[in-house]
Amino acid sequence: KQNLVYLHIDMDAFKLMKELRVNYDQEVHYLPKVTGLVFIESTVRISAKCRDAKVEDLWSLTSFFGYSTQTFVLAVNLLDRFLAMMRIQPKHLSCVSLSCLHMAAKVTEEECNLTPTDELIRIGQCRFTVSDLARMEKIVTEKLNFKSKAVTALTFLHLYHEIALSKETLSLEKLEAQLKACLCRIAFSKAKPSVLALALLRQEIEALQWEDMLEVAYYIQAHLKIANVELMLWSERVAQCLSDYASPECSKPNHRRLQWIVSRRTAQNLHSYRSVPELPTIPEGCWDESESEDSCEDMMSSGEESLSSSLGSDAEGSFFPPHLRRQKQRQYLFA
Amino acid sequence: METTKLPPSSPSSPTTSFSVPSAEKVDGFPRRSMRRARQRRSHSSSQFRYQSSQVELTPLPLLKDAPVAELHDLFCKKLQQCCVLFDFLDCVADLKGKEIKRAALNELVESVATSRGVLIEPLYPEAIKMISVNIFRTLPPSENPEFDPEEDEPTLEASWPHLQLVYEFFLRFLESPDFQPSMAKRYVDQKFVLQLLELFDSEDPREREYLKTILHRVYGKLLGLRAYIRKQINNIFLRFIYETEHFNGVAELLEILGSIINGFALPLKSEHKQFLVRVLIPLHTAKSLSIFHAQLAYCVVQFMEKDATVTEYIIRGLLKYWPKTCTQKEVMFLGEIEEILDVIEPSQFIRIQEPLFKQIAACISSPHFQVAERALYFWNNEYILSLIEENCQVILPLVFATLYRVSKEHWNQTIVSLIYNVLKTFMEMNSKLFDDLTASYKVEKQKEMKRERERAELWRGLEEYQERRMQMLTEAARNQRNLQERGERGDTLTPSSPQTAHSDQPEPKPSGASSGAGESAT
Repeated sequence: KQNLVYLHIDMDAFKLMKELRVNYDQEVHYLPKVTGLVFIESTVRISAKCRDAKVEDLWSLTSFFGYSTQTFVLAVNLLDRFLAMMRIQPKHLSCVSLSCLHMAAKVTEEECNLTPTDELIRIGQCRFTVSDLARMEKIVTEKLNFKSKAVTALTFLHLYHEIALSKETLSLEKLEAQLKACLCRIAFSKAKPSVLALALLRQEIEALQWEDMLEVAYYIQAHLKIANVELMLWSERVAQCLSDYASPECSKPNHRRLQWIVSRRTAQNLHSYRSVPELPTIPEGCWDESESEDSCEDMMSSGEESLSSSLGSDAEGSFFPPHLRRQKQRQYLFA
Repeated sequence: METTKLPPSSPSSPTTSFSVPSAEKVDGFPRRSMRRARQRRSHSSSQFRYQSSQVELTPLPLLKDAPVAELHDLFCKKLQQCCVLFDFLDCVADLKGKEIKRAALNELVESVATSRGVLIEPLYPEAIKMISVNIFRTLPPSENPEFDPEEDEPTLEASWPHLQLVYEFFLRFLESPDFQPSMAKRYVDQKFVLQLLELFDSEDPREREYLKTILHRVYGKLLGLRAYIRKQINNIFLRFIYETEHFNGVAELLEILGSIINGFALPLKSEHKQFLVRVLIPLHTAKSLSIFHAQLAYCVVQFMEKDATVTEYIIRGLLKYWPKTCTQKEVMFLGEIEEILDVIEPSQFIRIQEPLFKQIAACISSPHFQVAERALYFWNNEYILSLIEENCQVILPLVFATLYRVSKEHWNQTIVSLIYNVLKTFMEMNSKLFDDLTASYKVEKQKEMKRERERAELWRGLEEYQERRMQMLTEAARNQRNLQERGERGDTLTPSSPQTAHSDQPEPKPSGASSGAGESAT
């Protein structure tokens, strides 16, 4: 198993390495402007939190409509690139993000699996129209110079996974899910995709405690000439993010953002039980339990306390009129 | 009001019954607005009992004009006057007498309500007698055997003009500051109470309303009767559930019980817990649940607030009796579950969360949109959400597959939106768990599709094999025939084709030369 990579120098490996190189050279064209990203992080208007929330929404939609992770990653890439170069108003953020998703879906998904835009808008609970979305798509496409098919961290992740040659143990699904978790934080958009993907790969290898695979990671790093400092930096951040992601604690969902619309009939019946009853409470006393009619004569001392302390509040007069209370007291004294 | 002299149930009167045509139903539930058009006949719910000698009433002086010394005597006399009953079936009979009695009743009501010192000991038996004579009667069988309390107009009590005043009098009597329970208990005894309870079956809602308030006061003031009253109510309910499924006063009795349950002392006596498990929970199975469900749910929730340990009984009981074919009831049950969850203690929740959410998942996949909506709407309740969040690891796997499947399959767009909301909520709660479940769901789906493909392959293979076999058999039969015919004709030529026992290939045609004249070719 040792030095697997060196021993299997065949056409496939060569091809992969070459592809790796090509993508590495390409990735720089698809990086969002760092200054733009920094601006977003520091500003209040379209803040990092807004962007992160929107990206989470995109993930929800991706998952719901059965789109692939590829679509999601591409959509985030388009979104970040656009936001990094254009300052937009917060109210347009929904429209922008949904356009990016739709554009990404058109690139990645098969036509038969594409969700129509009106459905996207309806499920996403957005306030704009189908034509708004179409117009925004045009704008985004133009601004990004029609470079829709991006080289993303996922591209590298797939390549690394293939290179690693151990598909059974190294779960691509898991890596993809982890990548998705990272992309939900704007900080990771500043990383070069190749570096981010490698950091994720290393994390997983270290988690599996698979010494041999580390060799592969080193090899890739050397091949692409990725600086150790850079890799370490992002590895640390990735570790932090993943530990949050994997924590078993459940976080309180932000409830107010969603609209809960039900049909009129259901809405009518929703609160039909919250009525206050009209009849005043009748407190139970310990003397109730006897079947005999003369049970009020079998008084126990504790009854007196519960009697006075548990009188219900009613406006129609007390159930234990004063003379009755006095009567009981008298009997108690004689008992 | 039309007047007929016919007694209520004559052999010639047809029973006006028909079922609601389906056009009048929306979503399978009959429209509330639809009223049956039928002839209103004048009815009375009481048979007029002819008294042997009809007493002629003479008007007595007014109570307010009477001197103090004569007040009680006059009061008594008026009470006795009011013991005379009148026939309200016949609108024109004895109008004078009716008016005298009505006026007298009115006065008695006023007097008890306003004056003090009126209720002295000798009056108690007279008052109770007057009340008994007026209200205790056998209720006639319902005019309409398929009376639907939600749809139909109830048959009202004909003698209500008098009866209402008698009830009013009784109520004021009980509520008077001079009322002495120790004195009253001699006359308001078990027999009296039993008859009172039977009246709850009256179709007239006004009468039931009075009875409800009156019984409530009786229960509150006459302590010695409480156990008996509870026992009799139990009997009524048990008969209703298991024998007759007919009783008009369930809602009113439940309302009284609500105020009793509210006042239970802690710790809860086992008698009360038995009542919950043996009577209240099975009451949910009644067909006419919609009439009294609000009151029933209130009682159930009150029990929970008194003693949290009954929660498990309640929920398991509801799950056991969960409606399987009546979606209207299912919606009610879901509403009740939400009310229960609103007050549930987290420790109790954990004990029932698994069976409960399995049922909720089943409701979400119901094709009836109201059921699915109601179940999904639970996630809009903040307290329930916090309970789910604390137990996300257990709950999410139970509902996950259903949510995904239904989101792809359901016809109703509102439902699909709600499912998105629920899925998104889960995603925000614990994204890793969600991702893990998504991954395993996908794997399951792949396996399923693979199994389907293999199955289809298997069948196709079998069909092909069958086809080939058929072909082989027909070939064999044909060749057999050929040989025979040749044999008969005494053909010296070699047999044309070999036997086809094993070959898959279509048989080579016999050479044209060998077949003689007119043999049918393959």
